[in-house]
Amino acid sequence: MNQKWQLKDHEAEKQLFNRRLIVAAVLIFMLFVALIAKLVNLQIYQYDYFSARSDGNRLHSQYVPPARGLIFDRNGQLLADNQPIFNLTVIKEQVADIDVTLEYLSTLIRLTTDDIDQFNNRMERNRVPFSSVPLRYVLTDEEKSKIAVNSHLLTGVAIEPQFVRHYPLADLTAHSVGYVSEINRDELNDLTDDQKENYGGTNHIGKTGIERTYEDLLHGIVGYELVEKNNMGQVMRRLDRTDPVAGKSLTLHMDGQLQIAAEAALGDFRGAVVAIDPATGGILAMVSKPGFDPNLFVTGISSKDYSVLVTDEINTPLFDRTTNPYPPGSTVKPFLGLGGLQHGLVDYEFAIEDPGYFRLPGVSYRWGDYTLRTAIGGGHGHTNLAKAIYQSCDTFFYDLGNRMGIDTIHNFMDQFGFGANFALDIRYARTGVLPSREWKRASRGEPWYPGDTINSSIGQGYMWATPLQLATAAAIVANKGKVVQPRMLKEVEGQEYVPLNEDPVPDVMVDDPDYWRYIEEAMTMVVHRPYSDQFRDYGTAFEAIAQADRDMPYKMAGKSGSAQVVGISQDVLQSTDIIVSDLNKDHGLFISFAPAQNPNIAPQIAVAVFVENGEHGSSVAGPIAKQVIDKYLIDILQLDFAAIDTNAEPLLAETTLSNVETSAGSSSSVDSGTSESQPYD
Amino acid sequence: MINQDFIRQSAGLGNRRSRYRTLWRLIHTDPPLLVGITLLCCFGLFVLWSASDGDEAIVQRQSLTMLIGFVVMFIVAQFNVHLFRQWAPSIYAVGLGLLLVVLAVGVEANGARSWLDLPGLPSFQPSELMKFVVPMLMAWYLASRPLPPRFKHVFWAAIMIMVPAALIVVQNDTGTAIMVVMSGVFVVLLAGIRWRIVIMGFTALLLASPAWFLFLAQEHQKNRILTFFNPYRDPTGAGYNIIQSQIAIGSGGIYGKGYGEGAQSHLDFIPESNTDFILAVLAEEFGLLGVMFLIALYLFVLMRGCVIAFAATDMFSRLLAGSITLTFFFYVFVNMAMVSGLLPVIGLPLPLISRGGTSIVTLFIGFGLLMSIQTHKTANKI
Repeated sequence: MNQKWQLKDHEAEKQLFNRRLIVAAVLIFMLFVALIAKLVNLQIYQYDYFSARSDGNRLHSQYVPPARGLIFDRNGQLLADNQPIFNLTVIKEQVADIDVTLEYLSTLIRLTTDDIDQFNNRMERNRVPFSSVPLRYVLTDEEKSKIAVNSHLLTGVAIEPQFVRHYPLADLTAHSVGYVSEINRDELNDLTDDQKENYGGTNHIGKTGIERTYEDLLHGIVGYELVEKNNMGQVMRRLDRTDPVAGKSLTLHMDGQLQIAAEAALGDFRGAVVAIDPATGGILAMVSKPGFDPNLFVTGISSKDYSVLVTDEINTPLFDRTTNPYPPGSTVKPFLGLGGLQHGLVDYEFAIEDPGYFRLPGVSYRWGDYTLRTAIGGGHGHTNLAKAIYQSCDTFFYDLGNRMGIDTIHNFMDQFGFGANFALDIRYARTGVLPSREWKRASRGEPWYPGDTINSSIGQGYMWATPLQLATAAAIVANKGKVVQPRMLKEVEGQEYVPLNEDPVPDVMVDDPDYWRYIEEAMTMVVHRPYSDQFRDYGTAFEAIAQADRDMPYKMAGKSGSAQVVGISQDVLQSTDIIVSDLNKDHGLFISFAPAQNPNIAPQIAVAVFVENGEHGSSVAGPIAKQVIDKYLIDILQLDFAAIDTNAEPLLAETTLSNVETSAGSSSSVDSGTSESQPYD
Repeated sequence: MINQDFIRQSAGLGNRRSRYRTLWRLIHTDPPLLVGITLLCCFGLFVLWSASDGDEAIVQRQSLTMLIGFVVMFIVAQFNVHLFRQWAPSIYAVGLGLLLVVLAVGVEANGARSWLDLPGLPSFQPSELMKFVVPMLMAWYLASRPLPPRFKHVFWAAIMIMVPAALIVVQNDTGTAIMVVMSGVFVVLLAGIRWRIVIMGFTALLLASPAWFLFLAQEHQKNRILTFFNPYRDPTGAGYNIIQSQIAIGSGGIYGKGYGEGAQSHLDFIPESNTDFILAVLAEEFGLLGVMFLIALYLFVLMRGCVIAFAATDMFSRLLAGSITLTFFFYVFVNMAMVSGLLPVIGLPLPLISRGGTSIVTLFIGFGLLMSIQTHKTANKI
């Protein structure tokens, strides 16, 4: 009974177990069905989505930056090329502890806090995950090997080659050719969407000079590369590639040899030289001294180097002296004189008796001639226009300017590019000031006084002009009125570059073409008229130029000037680095063109020289201009002046001068007085 | 009461098929189970070759582990299952003792202090052994009591499950503890515990879970739960694994990208692609069809396990076979569900496919017990 009961119990238990097992089996099936449903959902219904996600994971389109166009001078000498450097780069996602890694790296190679700051800035910019960010540019061979040896301790750190800009002439072209440097956030924001795309693989952008002006031509078109990357961002395979289009190579009008000569000619002076080819307007040389090494900026200038550049208030190497304005001083006299001839206010014979100062009718104030301070007394005696130019007689031009009036002065000088930027591709050049009644009212809120005109007549007062403008104006005189607008770019990819000029400047027209010859002759006398027994009857630059080089094979037209120093800060004046009196010295200026007065060859070069605190235009700036012209005409163009007949043209000023000696013309407005003098050159 | 096995055997005398069966029984091996396991192992090695990027060392090591597994299975199968029933309490006691030893002199690996490195023996995890020791004890305990078990027995059974589980939790190996608990719970469920108690327990767990989440759960556990509900709350951190694994599975489509062509796997987007997430590799390269094939293989093994449990002649064997089979299923399902995003991420391997060591040998001990149950029953009965 008991046995049977137990057996029956056994059977019931077995039934119970079997039921449970069946429930379990059914559950197994149901759960597998649920699993399969989930997989069907993932692998069939969401296949497209996940397939795209998978491709998005592994496929990366990356930019291939184009090679930047090269920049050549007119002879094919490189002014800017691309050189390979080796950079230390970091992929942040692969570095376990960035601080530890940086600390370790700094024990291996030179790594300044500056480098690290710049690195952090780059990291903060928008960047693709797993992309490498430069930490240090330009590794030396020794540094490269140290990194390579310790690479097992430096996961995420790599050495990557890169082509970067190199400027072989360094300081010499720092301002004119300019430089590229890393794109900053503002520049990035200024780009259009298309440009942003085009700059996807580019780290650098032109910041100044040609590099900035022709950024569009130099940059090229970005290429693309489709690559497969693993989860560490390493490129596993290249799948597709669209090659970039390299930037266009540019050839400048600039002559590298002349650029070197111009910089050397400036010697220890601070200053600027601008040389223009009068036939084309091409800038042959454009030097601002002191310069700076533009190569420093390419890979990110250290703040120490930068602060040296910006805190040097005396040398101001970053300041471009070629395109910033100074009072032009007496260099404006030839243009004013030409305006006097054109407006009939003077003729070849017209002369004044110069007492050494000028006085407005009814005004006791006297505008003194620069000679007033000299021991032998002021004044030039009997002075016509030619003599007023080669002797730089202020009194003559006070009188002429006074009679022309500011409106006529403004409208005539305006044609030579004063107060405007004639340059086609130097957009950053300042315009200076060619004062007028409207200008003074707008900028000073004051009416124009007759005394303002007197100051303007000798390039002082409100008048400001850049060395570039002075060279341009000289080139227009050399061209006898034909205006050529200055330009840097000569050829693009070997093809003549015709710049878009929406606002062409009309030529300067005068009633009698002889006026040009007269002014050219007077300017030539500045350089070539020798000493004689006559009182003050020599060219102001004769001693420094023609007398110093008696074998000069060509004639050179010129005009000196000096400009008062304005606005030196107290900081600079208190500086012990330099003798303060040097900083108070006038700036010396000289404009010239050559060969002059040669019927068989047109002037080949027009030059403006500006020497900061050079004191004298004629004796300091003049010889610098002569050196530049010598270099160009004799060494570079290799003109054989012996074969060119130079004495075919009849002289105008020379003959009229002798006429003037006997006649008696004088201006009633030149008066005598006894008040204090104003020394002007 | 007629012994059906005896009848079947007598009727089959002289039959060629039955002679083979006798031969298999002589070496205590169940051919269908052996075929299923072997196929799974081969398929597993095949997938592992691709998942490890053709790393011969890994595949060789895995093959060796499997070979050891087969040997262990064969040895275990030679023992009469009744010996295990008789020794169950002793084995259990030894197991508990080992767990205590681990607490004292255990070695830590992968965050769990669960390894025993005794001189002269290969290092192993006593907690792994508990995966079949606990159901063995449960089967012994419940089989000798009237079924369905009374509340009193269920209570004691729960204690017997919880003691080793607690010791394993102390070793910081929650995953194994859960498996040990589940292997014991399966015995209790199969023993016919009343649905009322099951529902009550389940409800209690459900009610307790928010409290666990708020007060007891560790940070990484909370993260896993939150990530399960929204993987994109931290796509590069906690959610990365599951997102990348879903991308791999989804982009595999129906037919897969082809063997060795899984971009997600071979470009290292799938983490743990050799171990817990190996299903993602399989799904990417072989597509839905590949996963279905794997599920079919698992189902075959599981059904054979059920059949063995069904055909077992005593309650101890039934409960043990059922528990081993369900535990195996639990492994398979939890891993697959976790990799496909149906469950939160729990660190469980995919049995016989994932790379592993002790855990594979443990599985084979289970299969050995199944074979012992299947091949020793006639002798027991008579």
